[in-house]
Amino acid sequence: MSDLHLIGALPLWGVAVIALAVLALLVQHFIRLRQRLGLGQTAILTALRACVYGALIFFLLGPALIDKRVTKLRRPLTLLIDTSQSMSFPANAKSISGDKGAKSRLDLVKEKLEAGSQPLIQRLSRNYDLRVIRFGTGLEPIAPGSLDRLRAADPGTRLMELVQRAARDGAARSGIVLFSDGIANGEIKSLNGTALAAPVFAVGVGDTEGFTDLRIARLGAPEFAFRGREFKIELTVQAYGLKGKSVPLLFNRGKNLISTRSIAIDADPFEQKITLSFTPKDLGTHVFSVSLPAQPGEQIAQNNQKEFKVDVRRDKIRVLTLSGSPAWNYRFLRMAMKQDPLIELVSFVFLRTPTDTVDVPENQLSLIPFPIDDIFLEELKNFDLVLFDDFSYRAYFNPVYLERVRDFVRDGGGLAMFGGARAFDSGGYGDSALREVLPVELDGKGSYQARGPLQAALTAAGRKHPITRLLPDPKSNEETWAKLPPLTGMNQVHAVRGETLLTANDGAPLLAIGRYGKGRTLALMSDDAWRWNFIAVGNRETPQNHLKLIRQAVRWLAQEPAFEQVQLYPIPTAQPAEKVAIKLKVLNDDFTPARQASIQLRVISPEGEPTLISTSPDGEEGEYSGDFTPTREGTYQVEAEASAGGKALGRNKSSFSVAFSYGETDDGLPRPDLLKQIAEASKGEYLSIDDWNDKTFDKIAARLETIAPSEIVEQRQTRLWSNLWPFGVILILLSAEWWMRRKWGLI
Amino acid sequence: MNRRKFIQLCSQACIGAALSPGLANAAEPDDKRRLQFMFAQIKYRGGDWNPHPLSVTPLMEELMARTSVEAASARREVTLADNDLFNYPFLYLAGRYEFEPFTADEIETLRRFLTYGGFLLIDDALGQQGYGFDKSVRREMQRIFPGNEFKRLPPGHAALRSYYLLRRIGGVRIVNPNLEGINVGTATPVIYCQNDLGGAWERDQVGKWINTCTPGGEPQRKDAFHLGINVILYAMTENYKEDLIHVPFIRKRLTR
Repeated sequence: MSDLHLIGALPLWGVAVIALAVLALLVQHFIRLRQRLGLGQTAILTALRACVYGALIFFLLGPALIDKRVTKLRRPLTLLIDTSQSMSFPANAKSISGDKGAKSRLDLVKEKLEAGSQPLIQRLSRNYDLRVIRFGTGLEPIAPGSLDRLRAADPGTRLMELVQRAARDGAARSGIVLFSDGIANGEIKSLNGTALAAPVFAVGVGDTEGFTDLRIARLGAPEFAFRGREFKIELTVQAYGLKGKSVPLLFNRGKNLISTRSIAIDADPFEQKITLSFTPKDLGTHVFSVSLPAQPGEQIAQNNQKEFKVDVRRDKIRVLTLSGSPAWNYRFLRMAMKQDPLIELVSFVFLRTPTDTVDVPENQLSLIPFPIDDIFLEELKNFDLVLFDDFSYRAYFNPVYLERVRDFVRDGGGLAMFGGARAFDSGGYGDSALREVLPVELDGKGSYQARGPLQAALTAAGRKHPITRLLPDPKSNEETWAKLPPLTGMNQVHAVRGETLLTANDGAPLLAIGRYGKGRTLALMSDDAWRWNFIAVGNRETPQNHLKLIRQAVRWLAQEPAFEQVQLYPIPTAQPAEKVAIKLKVLNDDFTPARQASIQLRVISPEGEPTLISTSPDGEEGEYSGDFTPTREGTYQVEAEASAGGKALGRNKSSFSVAFSYGETDDGLPRPDLLKQIAEASKGEYLSIDDWNDKTFDKIAARLETIAPSEIVEQRQTRLWSNLWPFGVILILLSAEWWMRRKWGLI
Repeated sequence: MNRRKFIQLCSQACIGAALSPGLANAAEPDDKRRLQFMFAQIKYRGGDWNPHPLSVTPLMEELMARTSVEAASARREVTLADNDLFNYPFLYLAGRYEFEPFTADEIETLRRFLTYGGFLLIDDALGQQGYGFDKSVRREMQRIFPGNEFKRLPPGHAALRSYYLLRRIGGVRIVNPNLEGINVGTATPVIYCQNDLGGAWERDQVGKWINTCTPGGEPQRKDAFHLGINVILYAMTENYKEDLIHVPFIRKRLTR
């Protein structure tokens, strides 16, 4: 259907002026004709002229016929649905976490889209070019019919980044309806005035009114601590909707409670910084936790607990020495250890034997009772090394305590026995639990003999071993050993079970090392090692060789990392599904790189499930690596064991953490403020899901129409003055006038 | 009977079983025993290096009777030029009169000896401050440790607690109720007594004390023996009794 429109460029006032002029002309025309013609004839001629003028004015207005055709479009529409973990939290205060049937935030979104006989999602699919996209840490298009299968499982919400991307990727005149709780933990925390390319109608999910939650936020704990030294943990407790309550804060190591603290919640919202401290006694990686019991009405219980691990290292190697009597060997041994800042020495020197009598009351003696039970039943585990220095247990305690020492070594401790008249067979160890532990075999017949001079000589193993490597250069090292003063007494042993590092000049073993279980052992078959120090001083030589020997022996026995034959490199924190490279270095017994070692590498998941990892040699000699891909968050243990030629070289343990970096479930409080910011930046609108009803989307559609209509109107214009008809009509009118004038004698 | 009691009884039974060989061992002559301690006395030029020739054996007997140290009953006489000087980390320097200055080599030897772990007990048998032996001792020590003078040992010094909790300094006469010492680092490698300890230790062949201790009599002699034992144990254990594990026990006993 066509409509007549005046599309001329002449303004109306111009037309009016022309019309007035024409009217004046017509009046003059009528008066002039009336003087020569009758009234009727004058009227006819004036009317004809008026028609001519009228036609001219009409065509001056630009008459045109316009033909309109309207086309309706299917508007592009994007539904963005937040499927991050926080969307699994209860939708409102009525839906308490843990309750069966509690409605999650995502459930509420699904309900709004799918409920009713005419589900909204179907209507939208019908009327719009609909794209449904779930998002968390990335955008993932889904079929509109698969809403049911959505799970709130994404580990983070990169809200700002992904909304920007969705707006940029959308087609022209598209609109975005965003369903989210507004919790954002991506890299961009705020839009900061950045405009969005498409209007976003942000639908806030989750109640802030009545939100009840107690959580541990911002936990700061050291990655490692030193044994015996206090470390501090700083944390923030936050609470919403719990004013007036008092809650206990529990601090645990594993399942053992360390301390509790009561927190009085006196505000809403509530926030309090708390500092906790702990002094670790045991080495290794320990998992600690701080937790707050779930409160009645609390919506999110997952964030009431935080776990962290602390690698407890020794700042010092703790050495326990038991010396059978005051002796020069003890004097110089003590000097070597006391001067070493890495060694903490606890020593007991038995100043009196049961046969010695005193001439004063006990309270005038400085002797302290040897705390047998405390040492062997309680404190032993806190030492790295036990050293029996010319000491026989027989006069002081029951041999059952030596079983404790055996277990201590089996579990990774170090044991050294220095010779003398009270050591090895002479000390009765051939019949004790330490017989199987020591690196030498005892047959009960070996005795201590004062003889000399006994010059120490390096064996093949001793030339390479870090204990006896006094100088880096092998030749200089051997010369140094050859120059050390001779000794004057030795214990005989039946044989060496481990490795012999030093022999006397008659070939008898002088220094031997070995392993028992996870621990290391050493036997020095003499009480005369002090001569390597003080006699050397008298010979104008350095005492450092003796000091270095003692310190290196202590480090090797205590399995200092540099003295480990299997060394696991630290593994940084990884994310689930991220490949983790586990690297290790393996050394032979002589501490040369083990090129052909057989490696058994296991990773144990937080649930205790072991996975064997295959390894291959790396570029560096003695280095190996294997890959592992963790599937879930938690602490993974790594155990490495190496052998060469069927002989065990050692083992080591480590651990690493796997965690998402987002902290999605830390704070469950919905953030409508962020959603409002998105809506404003995009010229869209914010609305709460609680206000959503059947007509809500119609309002959104209307708003979208105002921003960008979804119809296309086509027009066809026919200009009436641009053809012959107007000229023909005017010509006919003028011809008629001319004919009448002629007839009536005016021409 | 609880577990602890049972273990203690077992332990005591075990100790009893171990006593016999220990007693037998103590009766053996020096050349049959593994000796851990040798009392070495310095012979020097001039003066009187040996004011009490019979003083050491009674002290060694006392040492072995009271402590676990296996000591040679006789002393070893050494000069500062002896090649085997460093075989004896404990040295005893006694005398009455002024003596000749040590040679430069002897000074250097003694400095190395005392700096790297050796110990020197100085005993003034004359007891005249600023005269005789005392004068020579202070002169030589200044040469060995220039600028490092003798200082009075505090009551809590490890040497006074290494075995006995000493409250008094014994000797033949009480010239100085305190000990003096020279500190090197955390140790005191030189301890000086001016009360004639050797005179108090000295006993003749038939077991009779040669010198009378004045004014304290026999308790004063006992103090001298206690000091001798303490100094030897201090030399062999250094500041062992200052280790934290000993401190509360010692403090408790001293406050009784």
